[in-house]
Amino acid sequence: MADLSINLAGIESPNPFWLASAPPTNSGYQVQRAFEAGWGGAVWKTLGDPILNVTSRFAAVNFNGHRVAGFNNIELITDRPLEDNLKEIYETKKRFPNHAIIASLMVEPKQEKWHEIVKRVEDVGVDGLELNFGCPHGMAERGMGSASGQVPELVEKQTYWVKEAAKTPVIVKLTPNITDITATAEAATEGGADAISMINTINSLAGVDLDTWNTIPHVGGKGSHGGYCGPAVKPIALNMVGECARHPRINVPISGIGGISNWQDAVEFMLMGSSSVQVATAAMHHGFRIIEDMTEGLNNYLDEKGITSVMELVGKSVPKYTDWGELDLNYTIVARINNDICINCNKCHIACEDTSHQCIDMLKDDIGNDILKVREEDCVGCNLCAIVCPVDGAIDMIEIPSELPVMTWNDRQAALGAVGCEVDIVEK
Amino acid sequence: MSEYKTFLQERDRIDFLVQKEYKITNVTESLNGAFVELENVAEDEKEMLHIITPEGRKYFAVVLIQQQKAGA
Repeated sequence: MADLSINLAGIESPNPFWLASAPPTNSGYQVQRAFEAGWGGAVWKTLGDPILNVTSRFAAVNFNGHRVAGFNNIELITDRPLEDNLKEIYETKKRFPNHAIIASLMVEPKQEKWHEIVKRVEDVGVDGLELNFGCPHGMAERGMGSASGQVPELVEKQTYWVKEAAKTPVIVKLTPNITDITATAEAATEGGADAISMINTINSLAGVDLDTWNTIPHVGGKGSHGGYCGPAVKPIALNMVGECARHPRINVPISGIGGISNWQDAVEFMLMGSSSVQVATAAMHHGFRIIEDMTEGLNNYLDEKGITSVMELVGKSVPKYTDWGELDLNYTIVARINNDICINCNKCHIACEDTSHQCIDMLKDDIGNDILKVREEDCVGCNLCAIVCPVDGAIDMIEIPSELPVMTWNDRQAALGAVGCEVDIVEK
Repeated sequence: MSEYKTFLQERDRIDFLVQKEYKITNVTESLNGAFVELENVAEDEKEMLHIITPEGRKYFAVVLIQQQKAGA
């Protein structure tokens, strides 16, 4: 049995699975139920001046029978009095002293406001703070959430103010609604953040009703952009975690968030640099009990790999994540079709012929059966045929040993620069 | 003609000149590919190759890097 406990910037929890700040962590009742089920930590739903919500708050994007491929919400931060939340945090921490409780915070970008709320939440025994610089809807219109989180100077300054007052570790939660998340991540570290978390939700509109022409969701016939999360956003989140993890000037731990639905997703985020992972949509879809499969699966994976502590996973794939210019231009893979397994649906041929490089031929074998064959010399190894193939094992992507040495784009351009390469922008 | 065959022709032309002691002395990249200038100093001869295929544009760069390493 591997050690699943983690330590993120001094915040310890019995496993890396935290509930993210969201509807599942709205109350002590919910967080205690989650801890009973096995969650290692919880980031309490964002505290601040109590807000007013609208009804009709969530919408899901289903895809080809997969429910909740994406999830959109227009709910704001807590609408409950701070005193009620603090009392429940205190009670929960007393009952579960070894579980991590992190208070998510959002106030106006004023020093005294941050100092006040930091002191009040720390007085009830939270293990850490998470600054919500990410909520993209509602609060942003009031200068908070992502409106703050999109401006590196505001991120740095507010983090600094919090650090002036904080005694517990400070995590800065970043918005993905920005061109380069490393800019705000670096600003957070400049402000003294002990850790960063990402991603908050992505600006979104779940859909439009074709009969009523109302947005989905709508509030009495009017809609507003919400925050998108769930499995669909995982690749975006994973990239942002990786970009921050490999950045030379961002040297703080990361809590990964974004579409994490099972233990495999969690492992991927940890390999890309996350010390803990936060989950909301999957818990909202399936309930707190999903934690059982997550911890069991993670434990089995570690045992099979001979890894004694889950912390050993953190960042192991980061050195493998680089700039495009550092990839080997001479690395070659090609598609190979296994006609014993192929069902001749021709999807690979159509995909290649219509939208890729026209290198899959429809032929007849010796006894007249239809077969598909890749002209390997023309295959660029794009993977599209294997992606669209409905049968596992029917198409393999085979590595072809290159006769040429490793050469990256950066190597190539350096070599051309050394002989006086010119770039002629006029057609010759 | 397939792009692969075009590449093979380009590679052969590069290899032919390299075997005759030509070295790449200048490259001009344009919207239509790369114009690769090769020179045989001993014979005082120059050749220009227009390389259009992606594999060909990789290949002459490999040759150039090998040439630079050999001359270093």
